[in-house]
Amino acid sequence: MSTPNRRPPPSLTPWLFLAPAILFFSVYVIYPVIQSVMISFLDWDGLGEKTWVGFENYRDLLDDPSFYTSLKNNVIWLLLYLAAVPAGLAVALFLNQSVFGIRLYKSLFFFPFVISNVVVGLIFSWFYAPNLGLLPNILDWLFGTPIAVLAEEDLVTYGIIAAGLWPQIAYCMILYLTGLNSINSELIEAGRLDNAKGFSMLWYVVLPQLRPATFIAVVVTVIGALRSFDLIAIMTSGGPYGSSRVLSYFMFEQSLSEYGTAMGYGAAIAVVLFAIMLVFISLFIVRMLAQERNA
Amino acid sequence: MAKVELQDVRKSFGTHEVIKGIDLEIPDGAFCVFVGPSGCGKSTLLRMIAGLEHTTAGTIMIGGKDVTIVQPAKRGVAMVFQSYALYPNMTVAENITFGLRMTNQSKATTEKKLSDAALILKLDRLLDRKPAQLSGGQRQRVAIGRAIVREPGVFLFDEPLSNLDAALRVEMRTEISRLHAELDSTMIYVTHDQIEAMTMADVIVVLNAGRIEQVGSPLELYHNPNSLFVAQFMGSPKMNTFAVELSDYGHRKTKVDLPNGGFIVVDGSERLSGPAVLGVRPEHITIDTKGELKGEVVLSERLGPETMLHVDVGETEPVIVKEDGLNKLSRGDQCALKIEADACHLFASEGQTIRSGSLLD
Repeated sequence: MSTPNRRPPPSLTPWLFLAPAILFFSVYVIYPVIQSVMISFLDWDGLGEKTWVGFENYRDLLDDPSFYTSLKNNVIWLLLYLAAVPAGLAVALFLNQSVFGIRLYKSLFFFPFVISNVVVGLIFSWFYAPNLGLLPNILDWLFGTPIAVLAEEDLVTYGIIAAGLWPQIAYCMILYLTGLNSINSELIEAGRLDNAKGFSMLWYVVLPQLRPATFIAVVVTVIGALRSFDLIAIMTSGGPYGSSRVLSYFMFEQSLSEYGTAMGYGAAIAVVLFAIMLVFISLFIVRMLAQERNA
Repeated sequence: MAKVELQDVRKSFGTHEVIKGIDLEIPDGAFCVFVGPSGCGKSTLLRMIAGLEHTTAGTIMIGGKDVTIVQPAKRGVAMVFQSYALYPNMTVAENITFGLRMTNQSKATTEKKLSDAALILKLDRLLDRKPAQLSGGQRQRVAIGRAIVREPGVFLFDEPLSNLDAALRVEMRTEISRLHAELDSTMIYVTHDQIEAMTMADVIVVLNAGRIEQVGSPLELYHNPNSLFVAQFMGSPKMNTFAVELSDYGHRKTKVDLPNGGFIVVDGSERLSGPAVLGVRPEHITIDTKGELKGEVVLSERLGPETMLHVDVGETEPVIVKEDGLNKLSRGDQCALKIEADACHLFASEGQTIRSGSLLD
């Protein structure tokens, strides 16, 4: 016979279950965040003497044209990357039909998401490459002027974003395809009887049911845009003349790359990027909480 | 407001034919119920009338117009779905008026129709709610409201009450019947519940394996089934059946040998001898010491006003007898059953009726 008194107090149990997550989250997320903020106030080469410089790293940032280039590129990434959401929806709607071999087509569309971003970057580099690339040759044939996208300061960011959109559209497509699977077909039929068709069917009946998928697609796309790094590293290394840098790459270049040893300056960039992300993440969390309360 | 005619309507999914040639005329203003066991094609047939399912062959006419290849929204039909199919993101008012807005009706008309429908269905205080905030019965009424405002010639109901609890089902049953009387439009209603069919219908269409088994009024089907299938499908508890042997009793009468030795004599049978199936409803059997069938009570279901006695007479299934609610017999008691010979149905072994036990005039 066990009496209630012999059990541990009920308030302890949830904390025991939460403990591993709290521990790892603190050690691998919270502590590094605090550490980064601390380092951003130092002048430090990563090995030698640490000197407290207060806000000087941030003041330097505000005077650094490279910072503005990176910030502007991040904004462009964010805006254009969001095109992956409607594009993914369009592809998903197109693939959401039952014809022979549709599974094969779906997996072909999903393919860019499966392959490594390094491979995506390489494929697009070759696609853009002067002389041997497909795009310059097509442009040459059409307009008589071959353009090497990755060598043009004004075009390079768009060129990399196009490469990034390829796997991102596939990702959004998968999210929407699963969403479309869970749509109540009787609602579509009710819509047909109510004379909703084409765009009005999509807008009033289908999209509201896909809201959870849209939310996730926007979240992963926004975060994906803000942490874009690998494609830039593979395709241009930030060039030409640093014109394709984004904040994360700028940070890497300043503090972690072969020639960069400015740990404090890099940390300051990281903190700015973190602050920008925090705005979006807070928005997402507020929305999720509101939804949970409504449900 | 509109007559529905089906002429040799067929439907195949791939090579599998599910609707095998249906000819049916549903008169203007009738309440027609399609019943049948699961998979008999009743929902498919309804969805073909709605235009949600492509018609493989045959003609569907609504209000005298051939609508076989017409879009669902242009057929002058409205449908109430089993899952209600309310748009979850819209309020009750938006749900009801969606169809009107999609057909660009004026704001004034829309408002007027909405308030009329809300009044009929007692929804006026719920118009700003979302479907998730409504009970099952209220959702059902919104679904009906959405159908009403479109002022269709034909209302289609696809098992609309199957998601409701028993009490609400009875309430909505009377409400839909009242609506039919008020709106005076043609209604086609699909159900597998023969009680819904009996209580609501003017005309019942019994479907079996993609074919019409019988069409008729509820009492006609109950008393005068033209096959064993219909006889067993209509009525609850279902009709008792025994495999019997017929022999000529003279004077155009037939002797029916019962399972454990007794016999009864009936008249008017198309066949006078050979194997057959005897069918008799629970209310046409009485407990009587002089009865032809001896057996033992294995279960007594006391429903209050009446008691259903399950009596084992040595057949695979017990005979069900409807007795008075105050009947004292219980499990283990021996009894004798008297079968009302006039009310006996006889079916050929292929299933068709060879003697009707109809007590109708």
